[in-house]
Amino acid sequence: MTRPGDGDRAEPVTTGGTIAVANLHAQVDGLTARVLSALPPTPAAPMSTGEPLVLIDLLILRGHVLGRVADYERAAGLAGRLARGAAGDGQALLARARTRATFHRFAEALADLRAAERLGLGGASLAAQRAEILQATGAHAEAGELHRDAARRRPDFATLGALAVFHAERGELAEAERWFTEARQRYQGTSPFPVASLDYRRGLMWHGQGDRPAASSWFGASLRRVPAYAPALGRLAEIDTARGDHQAAIGRLRPLASSSDDPGHAAALARALAAAGQHSEAGQWHGRAAARYDELARRHPQAFAGHAADFRRRGPSLDPRPCDDGHSPPRRQSFAAAWPYGR
Amino acid sequence: MGDHFSSPRVFGDPAADIADVFVFPSPDRPGHVVLVLTVFPSATVTSLFSDAITYRFRIRPVTVAAPGAGPGYDVSEDEYTFDFTFAGEGVGGLAQAGRCVTPGGEEVVFRAGEQLTAKSPGLRVFAGARLDPFFIALTGVRETRQLGRLSFKPVDANANDGQNILAIVVDADLAAMLGPGDGPLLAVVGETVTSGGHPVRLEHTARAELKNFIMSDKQFDPVNRDIEIRDLYNSEDPFRLAPYYLDAYRARLNANLAFYDGLDGKTDWPLNDRGEHPLTGFLLADFLVVDISKPFAEGSYLEIDRAVLAGRPHVTCGGRPLNDDIVDLLFTLMVGGVDGPRISDGVDQATQPATRAFPYLHSPNPAPPPLTPPFELPQVPDHAAS
Repeated sequence: MTRPGDGDRAEPVTTGGTIAVANLHAQVDGLTARVLSALPPTPAAPMSTGEPLVLIDLLILRGHVLGRVADYERAAGLAGRLARGAAGDGQALLARARTRATFHRFAEALADLRAAERLGLGGASLAAQRAEILQATGAHAEAGELHRDAARRRPDFATLGALAVFHAERGELAEAERWFTEARQRYQGTSPFPVASLDYRRGLMWHGQGDRPAASSWFGASLRRVPAYAPALGRLAEIDTARGDHQAAIGRLRPLASSSDDPGHAAALARALAAAGQHSEAGQWHGRAAARYDELARRHPQAFAGHAADFRRRGPSLDPRPCDDGHSPPRRQSFAAAWPYGR
Repeated sequence: MGDHFSSPRVFGDPAADIADVFVFPSPDRPGHVVLVLTVFPSATVTSLFSDAITYRFRIRPVTVAAPGAGPGYDVSEDEYTFDFTFAGEGVGGLAQAGRCVTPGGEEVVFRAGEQLTAKSPGLRVFAGARLDPFFIALTGVRETRQLGRLSFKPVDANANDGQNILAIVVDADLAAMLGPGDGPLLAVVGETVTSGGHPVRLEHTARAELKNFIMSDKQFDPVNRDIEIRDLYNSEDPFRLAPYYLDAYRARLNANLAFYDGLDGKTDWPLNDRGEHPLTGFLLADFLVVDISKPFAEGSYLEIDRAVLAGRPHVTCGGRPLNDDIVDLLFTLMVGGVDGPRISDGVDQATQPATRAFPYLHSPNPAPPPLTPPFELPQVPDHAAS
């Protein structure tokens, strides 16, 4: 097992996480204004896909980093509009595929990718998105071949990181560790989000193996890059709860459940509060999570119906065991969401 | 869009994304030269410089190359730099601390948003959010590129109206900092480079729209129709391009410059027998050339370059003043030749033209154009409408 800093020749130098989050907000706001100013498109000047595509990626990134389902919905709305308004643009279809995959609409996402391919779009971006969907749907052999091929053709942070995550999800620890380290050493950007995401996925791998110290170590590394990184905060709170340190879990989850609209965090906070004997507040968060699960299950059944059913099945008992909500969109969509460019 | 959004690699860190570089003799302090680097397109007043990036001006003396000797200029190996770095603070109402290191090694510490006169004789620096001086009729440009013919309106709206950027401004007595015999022609490049460890060049920028207008479109490229080459080009040293991807850049520029040349239905830039466009080599050596012996003059952008291409002496300071209409000047050069009739995109100045007093750029717009709602927020998932 490798800990942060072990075997890594040089720590990537990245922009401070607080600055990066502030700038991400500004970037989304600024691009939103630009995209708005280009509307409505004219027949001679159809909606340019360039800036809207960047905005879609940034919304997905912010949705992932801060645990905001609303950002995913905005990205999906814009991608849908773009794909309908820029007929014949493979990039628009690729963007819609990404947002559809975010909400676990995998069959439609694959159809978009096939349509984009028919329009002549090829290359690494399309293959990477297809590999992610195949991986998510359990087509591991095909996904693995795509990941390995991409890493052979272009061994950079994105392809090696995706390969590491592939092996990590299959529990192939040695292979995953090797590629996590390789990917980290090849990082050449200054955005902290991709590295935070990679470290998070490494922590998730050890979390799945029941190695809490290793998992905590990598989740902590992720949070040192980006203190507001919601997926790592949520997982560390899970570890706190498992250790019986409910107050620590509550300390992490209370601000997270307030700022994130992912009901998983509200549900986790309710469980931690209940376990700590704070039943009144636990009930409030439980109610909030229930309402949000219902809403999201209606809007995005593929992504949320299962989690909502699991949550309802437990009822108001406030069972302290964590729900199986680790694959809710903000947390499932991790590595690629943080590194949408250069793929 | 100047150089805004010209590098997919830095989309994830907008503080690394160079928007524009300007250089011009100071209009209010004769003998001084002003350098301006803008980053973070569509910034807000809360946007911050990265604490992991060095923002750099690189300056090299140049002379006009002998006719037929190459891309236009002989570049000296001597180099002078201004390096700007920023602290990680600045969030929560504190002004971000910055540091400038001059070519002579002097360190100047300042706070973003404050104007500062350093100990060096007459050196002034500024860094902070400002109104973006870039202006463009984006719809006209888009239609022109889409339709393959000039499609500008006589009068159009500035698509960049009200947008902010983060700006770094230096006003220095450059002549006093140069070695003996250096100048008066200087080549200037702006760069963002990673700080600490092995430095990685994220972007370099000089001539406006080289990457966005001329390098980004892939459909005419006979070699690489699915490769984004701007990241590769951005990582290059513009004073010495590595040989590895040179042919890819040349193929892209040869094809796209020929497209622009044909927008008026005639050929002003015939390709040579190897299929090379006369501007390709010239533009790939991407730096702004300024004559610091000449006084400030607006409308001087590309004038020295055009004079070199025409084989005649230049008459202005060249460089790139803040208010120059670079879209008009670039289209005029690409479409009509060195001295072709002026082509206008219908937007001739920024909504608030830059001033002639330091730091030259206007205060930022506290409320850039409408931020929300961005578009129709989906009340139902997009599959219901698709």
